[in-house]
Amino acid sequence: MSRRRFLETVAKSGGQSFLFGSLFVNTALLKLPQAGADAKSRAEAEIGKGVIYGFVVDTTKCIGCGSCVRACRAENNVPDGYNRTWVEQYTFYPDGEVFVNSPNGGEDGFAEALPTRNRPSGAEQAPMRGFFVPKLCNHCIDTPCIQVCPVGASFKTDEGVVLVDHERCVGCGYCVQACPFGSRFIDPRSHTAGKCTWCHHRVTKGLLPACVVSCPADARIFGNVSDPESTISRILATNRVQVLKSYLGTRPRTRYIGLDSEVI
Amino acid sequence: MRHAGHFVRLLALVAIAAVGFLFVRSQVIPKDFGVKGHYRLSAVSDEAAREPRHLGSEACAECHDDIAAEWTAGKHTTPQCENCHGPGLMHVKKVSDDSTAGYPDKILTQYENAINRGTGIHECRWCHLKTFERPSTLKSIASVEKHIALRKGTFTPDTKCTDCHNPHTAIAK
Repeated sequence: MSRRRFLETVAKSGGQSFLFGSLFVNTALLKLPQAGADAKSRAEAEIGKGVIYGFVVDTTKCIGCGSCVRACRAENNVPDGYNRTWVEQYTFYPDGEVFVNSPNGGEDGFAEALPTRNRPSGAEQAPMRGFFVPKLCNHCIDTPCIQVCPVGASFKTDEGVVLVDHERCVGCGYCVQACPFGSRFIDPRSHTAGKCTWCHHRVTKGLLPACVVSCPADARIFGNVSDPESTISRILATNRVQVLKSYLGTRPRTRYIGLDSEVI
Repeated sequence: MRHAGHFVRLLALVAIAAVGFLFVRSQVIPKDFGVKGHYRLSAVSDEAAREPRHLGSEACAECHDDIAAEWTAGKHTTPQCENCHGPGLMHVKKVSDDSTAGYPDKILTQYENAINRGTGIHECRWCHLKTFERPSTLKSIASVEKHIALRKGTFTPDTKCTDCHNPHTAIAK
């Protein structure tokens, strides 16, 4: 074997083994649990395991009145300028542009005039379609916010509700940065983290969360996903539901009906 | 072992530091921390102990039974009392025994008797203004001015929806 032939053979086999190796790694990656695992089957897996709360937002029903935002602010004494829940207005234009609006979190309702805008050519265009998307804490199963808390002030109850211990919280804000959904803020009065609790103080007394009670369009559904006879279990079993940012693998417990791919 | 004293002194320092660490740790970390996880277990009951502020329309009907009867019989039953009037807890406390001390809530100072009596126009606009995203089944108007012009009325700054509509029944007066 000449030196040239030997080097060629080594280079070829080396390249092949590299390719084979990368193929193996890719196969291994595919076997990891899928980040966007089906939310419905997850709900079914939780049946009969004690009380596990779940939340469904039906974006097809939301009329963007902002009742939930106002009810949440009053119920939880949320400081002005911050929101535990908010409503986003998505407007689509024929040229493919999408505009997202949430003035004051939707607390004062939304603009009365239909938004028109100009194409690059100068011609005026009316919006093509649109909808409202209420947002709140997703109460993830694999929470980034709890993982980063350095003092153990963020935790998850047995019912799956993510809460903040305001006595232990030092207000460092790591959780605010860790949350990919923007659900947390630092309360300027107490300097501790504030977030949606799914109205833990109400649901533990047998009441519904304030936003669910105040919704006039039944766009918000709350209940025990562990009970197969509950309203939320029936809705999860008979609808196609999606979660926000499934690719992040946080496994949110808040599920959405009618979520568009443009919703972030 | 003529250097044994060095080790004894070193071990004594380590022992003092360890005892000090354990003492400070026992003082700083709450007793129920780590019972169920890396958190203070009583924080759950602390959160659950908060008082619900939205009492529900049934609670409003206990005193305001005349309006409740009108509302129940009308066509405007999807929004609850507290949707427009705000939460009832402060109002009940204020009018019953005035035990509102310790409630740092702007509702107390914002409204007389701690309840929003309603402006008669602002609350209606939340739902009934026409936006592109709202369903056509929802009765909505492009603007109050246009709506009144269409009905051959005159719009003044004092014009209210409740001049013509009953908000509790959604039936025109």
